[in-house]
Amino acid sequence: MVIFALFVSVVFATLMRDEPREQLTFAGRLFAGFIGAGVVIGWLLYPLPL
Amino acid sequence: MPATTADRAQPDTTAYLICAAAWLVPGVGHIWLGRRQKGIIFLVSLTLMFVFGLWLEGALFPFQLAEPLVALGALADLGVGLPYIIARAVGAGAGRVVAITYEYGNTFLIVAGLLNMLVVLDAFDIAKGRK
Repeated sequence: MVIFALFVSVVFATLMRDEPREQLTFAGRLFAGFIGAGVVIGWLLYPLPL
Repeated sequence: MPATTADRAQPDTTAYLICAAAWLVPGVGHIWLGRRQKGIIFLVSLTLMFVFGLWLEGALFPFQLAEPLVALGALADLGVGLPYIIARAVGAGAGRVVAITYEYGNTFLIVAGLLNMLVVLDAFDIAKGRK
């Protein structure tokens, strides 16, 4: 999940921002969002039966 | 950002040619248009993503029109261009359904193709002077 989030963040940030500094900031925020959402959704699904 | 080829709109034929090149080799459209940094990032990250998908034992789906979801998966896989063609040619991407990483591999392969489609559209917009 971490590797996937890293790749997708890098590609999206490169697509959507032009300046390298903006790209880096945007990629970092996207990456943190993906990981955070993954952990939160994971815990929300935890009590559900398989 | 320095002036690039993309700063003036390209004729339709050139724009479509750029799209074809961008689909075939991820990032080449941007490199063609003078956005070298972006192009190299796309080339490296999308190719690596595709290779990761194969390494995780994901499958390159066949074009089975009888099963629409499989056909859509195949279309998404095809989006990455040359890496897909090479993988097919060498017989990679058979997928191993019982592998614990199978679905992860599929996700990497499909998303690499879909992201390259977005990259192609972005290259088209740049070529037409919209960005």
